[in-house]
This record gives sequence, structure tokens and C-alpha cells, in this order.
Amino acid sequence: MKLCISKPDNADGEIIYSLPYDFTAEGKAADGHFCATKQKILLYLNGKPLKEYNISDFSEFECRQQIGTSMACGITAEGETICFCAFTQDKFLRFAELLKLLDYYVRTGEFVIEADADEPVCPKCGLPLDGAKECIFCTSKSKTMIKLIKRIAPYKKYFAIAVICTILSESLWVIMPYLDRIIIDRYVTPKSAEWAGFAAVVITVVTLLLLAGIFEFFNMKSSFKVALNLGRDLRQDVFRKSQELSMNSISKRTAGELINRVSSDAAKLEDFITANGKDAIVKILSLIIIGVLLFVMDWRLALMTVIPVPIVFMIVSKLFDTMAIRYTKVWKKGVTHGETLHDILNGIRVVKSYGNEVREIQRYSECSEQWAKSAVRAEIMWYLTMPVSEFILTIGNFFVLYFGGKMILNEAMSLGQLIQFTTYVAMLYEPIRWLIQIPRNLADVSVSAGKVFEILEEASDVRDAEDPVELDIKGDIEFDDVYFGYKVYNPVLKGISCKINKGEMIGIVGHSGVGKSTMINLILRLYDCTQGEIRIDGVNIKDIAQKSLRSQVGVVLQETFLFDGNVLENISYAKPDASFEEVIKAAKTANAHDFIVKLPDGYNTRVGNKGYQLSGGERQRIAIARAILHDPKIIILDEATASLDTQTEKQIQEALGKLTKGRTTIAIAHRLSTLSSADRLIVLDKGRLAEFGTHTELMRAKGVYYKLVMAQRQTTKMKKAALPQTAAEA
Amino acid sequence: MTSINTEEVYEVDKLTLLDCSKIKLSKEKSGYLTLEYDGKLYRKVSPTRLVPFISKTTYISLSYENNEKEFREIGVIRDMRELSDEQYNILDSYLEYKYYMPEITKVYSIKDNMHGAIFVKADTTSGEKTICIRDWYQNFRMIGYDYLYVNDADGNKYFCPDIHKLDKKSRLVLEMFT
Repeated sequence: MKLCISKPDNADGEIIYSLPYDFTAEGKAADGHFCATKQKILLYLNGKPLKEYNISDFSEFECRQQIGTSMACGITAEGETICFCAFTQDKFLRFAELLKLLDYYVRTGEFVIEADADEPVCPKCGLPLDGAKECIFCTSKSKTMIKLIKRIAPYKKYFAIAVICTILSESLWVIMPYLDRIIIDRYVTPKSAEWAGFAAVVITVVTLLLLAGIFEFFNMKSSFKVALNLGRDLRQDVFRKSQELSMNSISKRTAGELINRVSSDAAKLEDFITANGKDAIVKILSLIIIGVLLFVMDWRLALMTVIPVPIVFMIVSKLFDTMAIRYTKVWKKGVTHGETLHDILNGIRVVKSYGNEVREIQRYSECSEQWAKSAVRAEIMWYLTMPVSEFILTIGNFFVLYFGGKMILNEAMSLGQLIQFTTYVAMLYEPIRWLIQIPRNLADVSVSAGKVFEILEEASDVRDAEDPVELDIKGDIEFDDVYFGYKVYNPVLKGISCKINKGEMIGIVGHSGVGKSTMINLILRLYDCTQGEIRIDGVNIKDIAQKSLRSQVGVVLQETFLFDGNVLENISYAKPDASFEEVIKAAKTANAHDFIVKLPDGYNTRVGNKGYQLSGGERQRIAIARAILHDPKIIILDEATASLDTQTEKQIQEALGKLTKGRTTIAIAHRLSTLSSADRLIVLDKGRLAEFGTHTELMRAKGVYYKLVMAQRQTTKMKKAALPQTAAEA
Repeated sequence: MTSINTEEVYEVDKLTLLDCSKIKLSKEKSGYLTLEYDGKLYRKVSPTRLVPFISKTTYISLSYENNEKEFREIGVIRDMRELSDEQYNILDSYLEYKYYMPEITKVYSIKDNMHGAIFVKADTTSGEKTICIRDWYQNFRMIGYDYLYVNDADGNKYFCPDIHKLDKKSRLVLEMFT
């Protein structure tokens, strides 16, 4: 990262790093520079030296992010915080990097001179690429459409059949008006009774109609095959991608939004491709063929028909932008509708228990109403303009009839010819109408296409290494100076180093928000640490194949999610090929078998969408059985017993005891008594590892852990004291 | 002489509304404020707007971190207008700086790259800018019917208190994205 952006004029020659800032330490808007030499921090204001500090006077440097601005601060050896300057957030990453280097310098004495690494920028617009292959500003919309069309490739055989059949049936329709002309000119107007010729023409018409029907059938069959397969591919790809993306990317979107992308956006693309992909070729072809036919028949009449077309195109292209706006709005309202629905239905228990049904019905109706309204607005716009442009488009037809009629009277043209001509004109309008509709369809579908490809092309930020290791995990875990923040420069965990031995049970304790769950997320590699290394059996976690890692780690969370299905399916989720006996054994070990036996359908009892029919303890035991069946080498218990009463907790503890025996276990619990069986405890405090040792050692040290235990004992005492009173009240 | 507050008891469940006449704020080196209140001195005080989207000068929480780096709220100012002019200015300039957020006054164009990012060319109170917004349906959104809240790719924030008061062209440009 470039850390020497611009130096103040007449700056000290020894300046190594220099970044501009926007506010003085007092918060006044300013135009200044924050510079660092090997010994000093120099502050400039309007190009003139303002203040200077000795780096050696400080023990720590940090960047503090506020809401709209951030501060660069140093903490002196005496513990006093000094703010150097402040800046807007676009400079945050550079300042954070620079202060990190200075901090490293005061801690280790090593001054890192970071070479101004190349920051790749887009050759077109100059924006930083930020690791992406293409500039997000310059990617064109047509590329998205081409990508969509490319997806037909696997089905090109069916697509070709559809196109050929449509061309054939269309060309049969082109012959029809010619036959009409023969019938009128030869058999109707002269009133001749040459039956043989008439019958031959009629038979040809019937045969052509039949043939057209057959071609149409094959066309439909192949078209649907392409469309449905394409839709399926898209849905599956979007879904697969949503499963592969890191937690970071997934948590950016709501479940409702993802559902929308998997189902309705993909469906829209499917429809578009079937309706328009094949049509584009056919319609353009028929436009050319019929156009040529018309001009060959009579170029003057033909000219009259096509003159209004450019005018209509102009009107419609003007419409395109407005339509795009309207359809994006419809899309947005649709997403909001989906999200609201998902939100309300998901929280239906809360809604019911607060008696808020009416309010939620109202909230939903509002969403639904707005969605409908936006769709109506978009369509009204379209249907208001359509009749007008239709009238202008077909105005040529009237001229053709007028001048054509005159030509018949002057015997320059036969009636049959005119009828053939006008039929062709009518046929010509069809592809033109389609072409006019294209902007509307394109506007509608490009919104969905953009959304779908956005997911498909998102690079997962947690990726497997080039040659990932399939590791047979034994269970040693090592944190080596690990830093991590959900936002890169706001570390939640700072400099965590510890070694967990195989088979050990480790408890992680600390206040809420201190980074306990984060540590676990890192072991599961749901996120990658920003600095340092996590090693399992000495292998960097980033080198282990994600699948291999997760297949050997078992997790029991506070809220157990049971899938819609029966008990058996839910237990065997961890190992789909497990025999029934294995499942029962796992259930027995988890103390779950006994209650499952009492369920009406035994292991086949359906546990509902989220298993609401089961109690919290029962669900937890199913989750434990699931983890036991998984036979993991490392077990993670994240507040596994927090939502249970003490009696149930005991049963679960017993089950957990069996699960964790001989396996490396990492447990988080708020209730410190839950961790009584832990071999050692990691105590986190303000993102740092404050203490690490056995319960007795930590109690003796009288540090953070001791305080936590004392505080909890006090609360327990208070609760106990309050109990008799409540009992008396009851 | 007021002594530095070392109060042990912290009543986490009690709302303390501060008496504006007793508040004495001053700026300090750390970039935060110092507060003298009711005979006690608090260092590194950080004011927070409790409802930043609804009101900028009412319900301001004053807090600090104690030696254990634990959060401690001193109390809440119900309405800054009850402060003396001098005190009001200190607090207001601090808040304006902490919540530095240019206001959008005109929108020229919005380009959607169809990959989740939009580029808004706009006039703001800190000059004309092209604001790049990733995940725009999260970071470019309406709060209520009038307030537009923008969070750009760098983490800078922008706002427009009432988009319906913008000129007609800006409103047209915004229509698709709000």
C-alpha cells in the first residue's frame, strides 16, 4: 500500500511516510500532512511545520474509527493518549497501515520500510481494482447479456432444432399469401370453374398448414427443453454459489434477498432466453425476407409501409431509460416484499406472543401494495405509449390501401396481388413490434441478469489454497499471533497466541463481544485471520482443504437448527451413509434415544420446520447425536447449554462428556460452572488473550478470570436471595 | 478543585438525564472532550448522537472508558439548546466533526454497473464528487420517506435530509435508486 502519497513543500528530507489529513486534532477542517521519519512524527498544516513528536516517547499507536471521521492516536509510555490528526474514511486504510507499522516499530524496534507496492488500477478509468479482475465501474451491460446467451451452449442441439423448425414454419406462412393471391386472381374474381386447379391449391394450403403445425410442435418441444434446462442450471448455480460464498459475503444479504435471486431472478432469465433468444434470429430473418419480398413486389408501396418505423423506434428508445428506472423499482419493491414476508414468517412466534398480528398484516399489506403500485406504474407507462406508437407504425397501411386500390382501378395491379401485399405488410409489422418490445424486455431482464451474475461472479474471500492438503486431523491447534476483525482494521482479536493440545478440553471465557465466537469462527475457517497463523497439527489452516477441515470438526451451537424432516434424517445429516444402528448408537450416547422412543413415530417422527414440537433440551440432544455420528476430531461447543435449565443442562453435560472424551474440545459458556470440566481456560479481555491456564491457576492469579468468577458468584447469591421472596409472592 | 472521577458503583439500569447548567466541556489533547459535572471530572469523554437520523442536537449521550476500558455512560443530554452558547458550540463542533457527513445538494447522474455497485456524481457540501457505493441496496437507502443515507466504498458517509426538496433533475435521477 502506498504510504507516501504527497509530501508538504520544503518537507524534511528524511521523511519516509507522508499522508494528507483533513482535520486537526481539535476537529477543525484543515489541509495538512502527517509525516514520519525514523525518529519523529511531523505534523504539517498548510505546508508549514505544526508540531513534532519523538516516536520513542510512545508505547502504542492506533487508528480510532469514529462515525464520519477517524483519528490517528499515539499512547505515551505514561498512558496518555495524544491525537495527532483526523481524516475522512477514505484515508483510513492507509493511516491504519502506517500506524500499524509505527506500532510494530515501537514494539520490536524494527522499522519496516514498505515498498510502494503496485496498486493495480483500471486502465480505462483509473479506479483501483481492489483485487477484482475487471473494473467494477467499466464492466458493460452488454457483457452481461453475452454471458447469458453463452449459457445456451450446452443445449445448442435443441436450440438449433428450435430455430430451424421456426424458420421452416415461418417460411411456410410466407407462401400462404401467395396461394391466397392465386385463389383470388384465378378462381374467385374471374369466377372460373376449373375445379382441378382450385382443389390442388386448396390441398397445398391444407398440407402447408399441417406441416407448419408439425414444425411448431418440434419447435415448442425443443424450446422448452432449452429454457427449462437453462433455468435449472441458473438456479442451481446461484444456489451452489450461495453455499460456497464465505460467511462474510452471505451475511451481507438477507435470506429473503438470496431466495429471490435463486428463484425469481433466475426464472425471469429463463423466460427471456426462451422467448427472445430464438426469436431474435427468426424475427430478424423474417424481417429481411418479407422486406425483400415487399420491395420486389412494389418498391413504392413498400416504402410507404416502412417510413413510419424510424419514428416509432425513436419514441421507444426514449422510453427505454424511463422503463429501466420503473423496472428497477419494481424489482426493489419485489425484494422488499420477499424480505418482509420472510422476516415476519420467521419471527411468527414473536409476532404471536406480542399479539402483533394486525400490525404485521398491515406491514405486509403495505409492502405488497407498494410492489403492485410500482408494477402498475411501470406497465401503465408502457401501455400509454403503445397505442400511439402502434397507430403511427400502421399508418403506412392506409396509404398502401389507398394507392393500391387506385392501382387496381387503373389495372396496374390485380386484387390478388394487393391482398398478398397487405398480408405481407401485416406480417412485417410482427417482427417490428417485437423489436419495439425488446427494450422493455431487455430493461426488465437486465436488472435480474445483473443481480444473478453479481452472485455468480463474486469471488469467495475464503478460498482453498492452490494445492489444498487433505489432512487426517489429530487435534493439536495453535494460534500464532492471530489478528482478526470483521472489518479489516478494526481488530476484534489482537495478537492471540496459544497452543491447544490434542484431546484437551479448553474453555473460552470473557465478557460478551470480546471475541469468543470469533475465535471459533476462525478455527472453522468461516473467516480468514487478517494477520498471523492458525495451525492444526502444525499445518496452516489456509492450506487445509475446507471440506477436509470441516468434515472433521463437530459443532454444537446454542440454537440448534433442525431441518424439515424426521429425527433420523436430522441425526444422519452429519453422515448420510450411516447405518441405522450407528444412528441409534449415536442417539444412545447423546442420551437422546430414550425420548425418541417415546415419540409417536419413533425415529420417523417429523420434527417440523425448526423442530418446534421438541423441547430445547431434546433438540440439543439431537444436535449432539448428530455431532457424535460425525465422529469429529475437534469439537466446538458454542454456548451449547446456555438456553437450558440446570436440570436439563446436567443431562446434556453428561451427553457432552461422552462426546468430548478424547477429542480436542473448545467450549464457550457464559455460565462459568459449565466449564468446570475444562482442562484449561483461555481468558479473553478486550480482544487480547489475557490469561491461559487451569481454573486453580487462574483463581490464584486473581486476574480477569478471578473477577469474572467473583462477579458471577455474587449474581448467583443475589438471585438466591431474591428467590424466597418471589416464592412467597407466588 | 474537581477530582478525577473514580466512582466504583455504576448503575447500568438507570437513565441519568444531565442538567445542562452544570455541564462544563472542554477540548483535550486526546481528541476527546473533558467534562466537569457535579463536582466530578471526566476525561476522554465521547459524545454520541443516540438518534442521529432523527435529531442531531437532542438526546446526546456522554460516555467515557474507565481504567479497565469498560464503557461508562455519564448521562444523556436531552436537548443541547439548554446549554450555554459557548458549551453548545464546543459540543456541536465536536459532534459535527465526529459525525462528519457531507450533505448531498444535487445529483447529476447515477451509473449502475450491474454488479452491485453504483457511482453517484453529486454536489455535496464538501464539493463535487463521484461517490462509489458497493452493495448499493444496503448502502444507498432511504430512512423513512425523506432521508437518504449513503455509505460509500471507503466508509465515508453522506446524507440528504429530504430528497423531495432537491431540484427536479436530481429527483428524477434518484428515482430509480430510492
